[in-house]
Amino acid sequence: MRMLAVFEKGERIRHIGHLDIQRSVQRGLRRSGLPVAYSNGFNPHILITFASALSTGACGTREIMDVTMAEEVSEEEFLDRMNRAMPKDMQLSEARAVDQKHPALMASLRAAEYDLLIRDPETAEKLTAAIPSMMAKETVTAMRKTKTALKECDIKPLIYELKGEGQHILATLVLTEREACKPGMLIEALGKEAGIDEEIRMLVTRTGLLGMDSEGRLIPLERL
Amino acid sequence: MDLNDKIEKILEKVQKAPRYTGGEMNTEVKGWDECPLHFGFCFPDTYEVGMSHLGMKILYGLINRESWSLCERFFMPWTDMIALMEEEQLPLLSMESRHPLNAFDVIGFTLQYEMSFSNILAMLKMGGVPLESSERGETDPIVVAGGPCAFNPEPLADFIDAFMIGDGEDVMTELNRVILERKEKGLSREACLKKLAQLEGVYVPSLYDVTYNEDGTVASVTPNCAEAPATVRKRVVVDLNNTYYPEEFPVPYTEVIFDRIMLEIMRGCTRGCRFCQAGILYRPVRERSMEKLIDLAEKLLNSTGYEEISLSSLSSGDYSCLPELIRELMKRMKEKRVSISLPSLRIDSVLKESLEETQQVRKTSLTFAPEAGTQRMRDVINKGVTEEDLLGKVRDAFEGGWSSVKLYFMSGLPTETTEDLDGIADLARKVIAEYFNVPKTQRAKGLRVTVSVSVFVPKPFTPFQWAAQDTLDAIIAKQEHLRQVLNIKGVTFHWHEPYVSFLEACFARGDRRMGRVLRSAFEKGCILDGWNETFRYDLWMEAFRDCGLDPAFYAHRARTKEEVLPWDHIDSGVTKQFLWHEKEKSERAETTKDCRKGCNGCGLQRWKGVCSYANAGSV
Ligand code: SF4
Repeated sequence: MRMLAVFEKGERIRHIGHLDIQRSVQRGLRRSGLPVAYSNGFNPHILITFASALSTGACGTREIMDVTMAEEVSEEEFLDRMNRAMPKDMQLSEARAVDQKHPALMASLRAAEYDLLIRDPETAEKLTAAIPSMMAKETVTAMRKTKTALKECDIKPLIYELKGEGQHILATLVLTEREACKPGMLIEALGKEAGIDEEIRMLVTRTGLLGMDSEGRLIPLERL
Repeated sequence: MDLNDKIEKILEKVQKAPRYTGGEMNTEVKGWDECPLHFGFCFPDTYEVGMSHLGMKILYGLINRESWSLCERFFMPWTDMIALMEEEQLPLLSMESRHPLNAFDVIGFTLQYEMSFSNILAMLKMGGVPLESSERGETDPIVVAGGPCAFNPEPLADFIDAFMIGDGEDVMTELNRVILERKEKGLSREACLKKLAQLEGVYVPSLYDVTYNEDGTVASVTPNCAEAPATVRKRVVVDLNNTYYPEEFPVPYTEVIFDRIMLEIMRGCTRGCRFCQAGILYRPVRERSMEKLIDLAEKLLNSTGYEEISLSSLSSGDYSCLPELIRELMKRMKEKRVSISLPSLRIDSVLKESLEETQQVRKTSLTFAPEAGTQRMRDVINKGVTEEDLLGKVRDAFEGGWSSVKLYFMSGLPTETTEDLDGIADLARKVIAEYFNVPKTQRAKGLRVTVSVSVFVPKPFTPFQWAAQDTLDAIIAKQEHLRQVLNIKGVTFHWHEPYVSFLEACFARGDRRMGRVLRSAFEKGCILDGWNETFRYDLWMEAFRDCGLDPAFYAHRARTKEEVLPWDHIDSGVTKQFLWHEKEKSERAETTKDCRKGCNGCGLQRWKGVCSYANAGSV
């Protein structure tokens, strides 16, 4: 069986990179004493995957891990034992047992929800005000960082939803194995639209990972 | 902007932010207000180095275990962080509750190597604590320090209020109690320090006066008050089984140098290598029982989730039931997929059998430390290892599937000649030959022999404490020679920065006046001297000139038998007479036996019940 579990990456540890988060979850699993499955071979490791890597600097409230268990465990027990074994910035909120044939999370991922806290209230206001005009455009260009260069791309088709609420910009953006609109790209484009030149400081929180149901609706990935 | 905003802003800009963010598993955040005594534990180097250090983990757990004391960690920030902190006017803050250093009642530094001394000054300054003991007032914290470099405390005497000499476990709590009394009963700073001076193993330098001879050598170090003892005897915990050892370790999020469970199987070493300071300072040998170790290993695995355990000590191969211990650990840990490593593998004591068992899980490179290239030189330093021993172990390792071997040597040892340097290359060649002697089908691919040659630094409390260090020119010439003779296919040659070793030698055997050089160099901008990219040799030399002191006086001068050494008032348990006798034997290339084969009368036998191998009859 596999266990899909929703966990948090708290603000204090937001600068921890994905590899380190992975290792911390693995050590948490080892501390928990839960019967996890290991790979065979010379350097055995816990069979675990993550729905999506969260960037360094970002917090997450509903990140998802997918752990293969060696024995049946109830969802309650999994949650309980893991929460005792994990540091307080990485607590779990939900667990769902699925069978081995359940599709891989990564392949089902379609979008992510973000809550972007703009540090400067005035900037937040300007950004919110610029949303309608930007969304009315045919194309919205932003710069995408690749390994070697900056590339121009159109992010308009990558935005599902975008709104402002006080100091927060709330966005649902495409995130799949092939393409993604990163929060930084969105805010850069929106800043341009709002006529803001200086660097925009913000706190990124990913608040959900979404998949698509048979009727084409975005729903939380862990419920798919 | 409030404090947290400032911190957040800095963390967004700084490199390797996780060094500064804390929140790791098993780091206690005890209520600041619930604990009357606040201890700020300072590791004077980066997070990655400090979090690899066992002593810190022990004391962190020990202080936090007491209901009345709280311990939080501080590390030396990297240069980019220091600049950002200055910009935002942020003080040095603790990893746990983000209190500034000067909010703590006690500040404790661990002194692992001399090249971290300037970081102590930097951390005090960033933490808002007056640098020198004499500048501190009634509301300032008490600054203490311990660790191997505390055995010659003199270069730091101006900056540290009290040193803890020897094993820290017992004295730590006693010291904290006195400081709590200062806080609760309003004891004056002076009264508190005098009380500390009466604890066994505590040295309060301000209570001692130093006089000098005309030639610059020390004439005397004498107490200036009745409370201070004439000599300070090191603390020894006799029974490790009944001494505190943590059952949980902080688990860093990011990778640090030693990211694993460290199980201290014993303390001390019976071998008596003459260059080795730790071998004297940590005498006598004390072992933890197998039952205790297995119990600790299981508890630590459950509390940390680590996938690797290393058995640590100065000479793990000498642990009396090592094969049994390894076998038992392997048996219990197999299900948890835990690997076991022996870091300081002694080539002449590890059984082939246990070698085979360790490789069951993981094969890393094997480390051997013959230390010198010829038998004569190894006899001089009393490294009781023969070429046959070494090659035998290497053969076992190659047959056991290892293909990567690291060999550690020292250059600049007393009486060293070119022949001894050439011996290093000969040995490397013989190691390679052993590899090719193993049939191709049986050996692992990819032979790698790494030869590391460090520069010898004479240390206090060793038979070489009177010896001159090689001059820089001599060191550089020897390194050039080594580079030529070690130009062998399959061999990688590493050597140490000679300038760093030179400065290390000055501090290792420095007197109180070295404190002025340290302060001057720090004010010129010297910090993080243990790192190549930040080490500023030119500024250090400038500081010596400004203080009117000659580094050669400390590094390159041979001392006479009669000379008062700056650390003579510290009693390591081993007598100066024994060390001098060892020095004379070394000059004749005469060896001294391992204590397990019989007591050599180092002096510790005078302390009743401390050394289990001691023979009270010997002098
Ligand atoms: S007292 Fe004897 S046996 Fe013990 S450490 Fe000293 S020389 Fe060795």
